[in-house]
Amino acid sequence: MTAGIGPLAALLLADGRLPVGAYVYSAGLEPAVAAGLTREEIPALLRARVRTVCVTEAAAAVLAAREAVARDPVDYGPLQRALAARTPVAPLREVGAALGRGVHRLALRLAPGHPAIAALDTAVLPGPPVLRPLRPVVTGALGAVLGLAEAELARTVVYDDLQAVASAALKLLPGDPLDSVAWVAQTASSVEEAVVEAVATSKPSDLPARSAPLIEQWALEHARTERRLFLA
Amino acid sequence: MEPTVVTVEREGERHVARELASGTFLAPRPLASPPGVLRLALVGIRAGLLTGDALDLRVTVGPGARLELVEPAGLVAYDHRGGGATWSADVTLGEGARLCWGARPFVVSSGARVHRSMAAELAHGAAMLWRELLVLGRCGERGGALHSVTRASYDGDELLVEDLAFSAPEERDLPGILGGARFLGSVTHFGAGRPEDPADPYLTALAGPGALVRHLGPSAPPLESALDTAWDAWHECPQDPQPSERP
Repeated sequence: MTAGIGPLAALLLADGRLPVGAYVYSAGLEPAVAAGLTREEIPALLRARVRTVCVTEAAAAVLAAREAVARDPVDYGPLQRALAARTPVAPLREVGAALGRGVHRLALRLAPGHPAIAALDTAVLPGPPVLRPLRPVVTGALGAVLGLAEAELARTVVYDDLQAVASAALKLLPGDPLDSVAWVAQTASSVEEAVVEAVATSKPSDLPARSAPLIEQWALEHARTERRLFLA
Repeated sequence: MEPTVVTVEREGERHVARELASGTFLAPRPLASPPGVLRLALVGIRAGLLTGDALDLRVTVGPGARLELVEPAGLVAYDHRGGGATWSADVTLGEGARLCWGARPFVVSSGARVHRSMAAELAHGAAMLWRELLVLGRCGERGGALHSVTRASYDGDELLVEDLAFSAPEERDLPGILGGARFLGSVTHFGAGRPEDPADPYLTALAGPGALVRHLGPSAPPLESALDTAWDAWHECPQDPQPSERP
């Protein structure tokens, strides 16, 4: 049991070397490039994500973390449903569940038998189709168990998304790898705005829902493509 | 400002308009209806939306009833010169109720600041077919500020919650959001008993009973044509004798 490891948890969860399968995810960059996005536009794509999908996911993680410690019995169902309703396109829900499965495996290893992790079964939506726990729900539950503060958790979720784009750029639109670091660093003030909004969210029905219609369209195009490096 | 209120119920094989109240902006007018459905036109009775305007529409369809709403004309939100306007629709569908609503274009002129909201609560077995076309700017304009919120629930569970925050042009034009598109059109089938889906590359199932087709782009005609296809595929209210009237 590794519960309550505190600040180290943020570094572990945000590390690209974390073996939970996130390398299959370009956070929408591969379909964006297929639709014509250029390397010069990547900082703008990061700004788009940090104002839309990142806020929703960070807020969902924060609510999951609160649910993990506050209630008995823990029920992630309403949150999972709220997050699914704010993820209108099916391929993005499927990817969220696939990525959630990786973090879930990690959670079972780090905190076996912890009630907040065992309760992730309550996040399964019966469907059809069945929707397994989405990644922000699982990350939030694990973050709470590890003793991560809410703002750190929210920042970790946003950072992970932006870093997924920036590091996928090395494969999809190669250039100076130092650019990737600079792009993410430039988003700092927007990241903090997203963190503040995520932490201020009080219940699933208030979960932010700002959508990015082109990101959704690209995800639908990507799901139909046979030639691809990343799941999404 | 007065709300427009439409309440339709089913009594045996008949449809009864329990309440048809003209609001400040829209008057509900019965149209010739084939058996099995009540058709109403939402007729504009005042130019809008001007600054300070609040258009409010409340639609209730009772258990087992079918309502088709027809809009003869679109709506333009004009330059609000620093003010703003709101448009809100609240829809409540009883068990097994059906609503088909082909909304006409919603145009947000440069200088307008509009908050738009569509909230639909569907009871078990209910369905709503909803078409919308958001247009940022009249011809040659970049368009004003639009914040459009959609909330739909089915049998008490959230089905789709979406917040299109298109107020700041520099933000909505980012790649991934609208990327410079001025037209955003959707046809959504919320709820139960959906007919066969259209073959559309941008079709997706919702996170519950329902599906969505959405197109965006720089001009209306190709988008309208794709929306027509989705609308026709999912339209299950009994047909009008003059199908050309459909939006």
